[in-house]
Amino acid sequence: MLRLIVVRLAWFFPTILVTSMVLFLAVNVIPGSAAKAALGIDATPQAIARFEHELGLDRPLYVQYFEWLARVLQGDFGTSFQNRVPVGPEILARLPVTLELALLAFLIANLIAVPLGAFAAYYHQRPVDTVISAIATLFGAIPNFWMATLLILLLGMTLRWLPAGGYVPFAENPAMNLRLLLMPALSLGVVSSALLLRIMRAEMIEVLSSDYIRTAFAKGANPSVVIWKHALRNSLIPFLTVGAVEFGWLFGGVVIIEDIFLLPGLGSLVLVGIINRDYPVLLSSVLVITVVVLTLNLVVDILAAVLDPRQVHARSEQ
Amino acid sequence: MSGQSAVRPPLGWRRYRLLWIGGVLVALVCLAALFAPWVTPYSPYDLDVTDMLQAPSATHWLGTDEIGRDVLSRTVFAARISLQVGLVAVAVGLFGGLLIGVVAGYWGGILDLALMRAMELLFSFPAILLAIVLMAVLGTSILNAMVAIGIIFIPGFARLARVSTQKVLRQSYIDAARTIGMADARILQREILPNVMTPLLVEAMTAFAYAVILESSLSFLGLGAQPPEPSWGNMLSTGRGFMAQAPWLAIVPGAALFVGVLGFNLLGDGLRDFFDPRMKD
Repeated sequence: MLRLIVVRLAWFFPTILVTSMVLFLAVNVIPGSAAKAALGIDATPQAIARFEHELGLDRPLYVQYFEWLARVLQGDFGTSFQNRVPVGPEILARLPVTLELALLAFLIANLIAVPLGAFAAYYHQRPVDTVISAIATLFGAIPNFWMATLLILLLGMTLRWLPAGGYVPFAENPAMNLRLLLMPALSLGVVSSALLLRIMRAEMIEVLSSDYIRTAFAKGANPSVVIWKHALRNSLIPFLTVGAVEFGWLFGGVVIIEDIFLLPGLGSLVLVGIINRDYPVLLSSVLVITVVVLTLNLVVDILAAVLDPRQVHARSEQ
Repeated sequence: MSGQSAVRPPLGWRRYRLLWIGGVLVALVCLAALFAPWVTPYSPYDLDVTDMLQAPSATHWLGTDEIGRDVLSRTVFAARISLQVGLVAVAVGLFGGLLIGVVAGYWGGILDLALMRAMELLFSFPAILLAIVLMAVLGTSILNAMVAIGIIFIPGFARLARVSTQKVLRQSYIDAARTIGMADARILQREILPNVMTPLLVEAMTAFAYAVILESSLSFLGLGAQPPEPSWGNMLSTGRGFMAQAPWLAIVPGAALFVGVLGFNLLGDGLRDFFDPRMKD
């Protein structure tokens, strides 16, 4: 157990380091000069040279990388090319928006997937199972941005139940904050629930056919206790690992969804960085999202090992 | 005669429902893409400013867009981009992943460790984020979208190819082949590849569905297919600006996208049941 945690941690930091290197290199070979994007296409060569010199863009790439890395480790994400404001505070302000959206979406996905998956497994190969599985298949084929569009049309414009976009911080007005985030979270969550539901159902079918569950049923234990307590608990551990991956992927979806619902999160910052060729903004926002996702996977891997030590042995045998 | 085979034909509807529904949907999309110029009533590019934002009618079955182009024609033509991107991206991912996975699985050791670590790193990025960064690096064009999406698929195919290769390597006929002095290249070609391809082809269907989603996501963000080229993603993106006056502009391309993705997903599930009936629960 301790070995697994140490090994995972030992891999974690080099992984982040390599990621930062790859991202830095990738962003620096982006065609189209940042200077032109910031100064306009009719900037003089002298102005461009001055701009690049001021920002240190005329030095060797590896020098730029290590300097950047050293600053990032101190929490300094550089200055935006576009409006010359520090990127760090911007990221810090936007991170909670994205985290809240992803968490809400994940919550919705699980609220759909866990009970429906468990029901489908209990009624395995009966009409209830067929209907639930069909719903999962349909959900899984809806692109999240079409789901967002349909929700805006239905809940926002036709029924006028929810506002179609905008953001208010939770601390300022919790009710309004949740109302504004509900549609974006639904757009991501409903689509994500499809995969989770399938996994939940498959795990639950396996657990329900195991000896101890059959014994529990045979001795006349209350079926709902057997299902919701014994079986569900044991299905949740493998489910957790898939859930973490899915949660990570939710962070990809936020780029589009934040754009659609005008949410000031990290995802929309990625787009701002790309459209303006604002490398510090693009680099920092992608890096922070990636680190959040990698950290999440690390935590879940360790958590899964703590909850079910058998997994450690199963893995070392692979 | 047992009668069993007569009652239940090898590709019967009851047993392979998913395969059939998926196959029909995919065939529909493919036929639409192939015969687009012949089955559409108008050109996808012809604009008619006197005919803007018309609701669905007898002349324009699915209405017209903000500059009077026929939505049905554009939706049908857009299937071409989706299928092209899907084909190229899946090919890039399949061959890249096959190469890496088989090499890692066959030779093992430090090579395996290095390759699979790199794959894991690539896999840990949220796909659309990786696609967006790659598009920023490669430049916005539909060809680059194909490559970017293809790169995203490499780790998935590589993992599968590696596991399948290792599974085949444990078989005794591989030991036999080695004993009679068969060369690595020949073992790979004759024994490994044929056995590895089946799971990879099944996975390719799921990847295809995902490629279609990713392409439309990129086009939706303005990073994929460029106007006036119709793509379900960019049509939906434009349609969002006219949702109050012309909701069909956002509904129709999304529905086409949904049908395409659903088709490939179901075909993938169906093929999995067909090739590996034990997986069917």
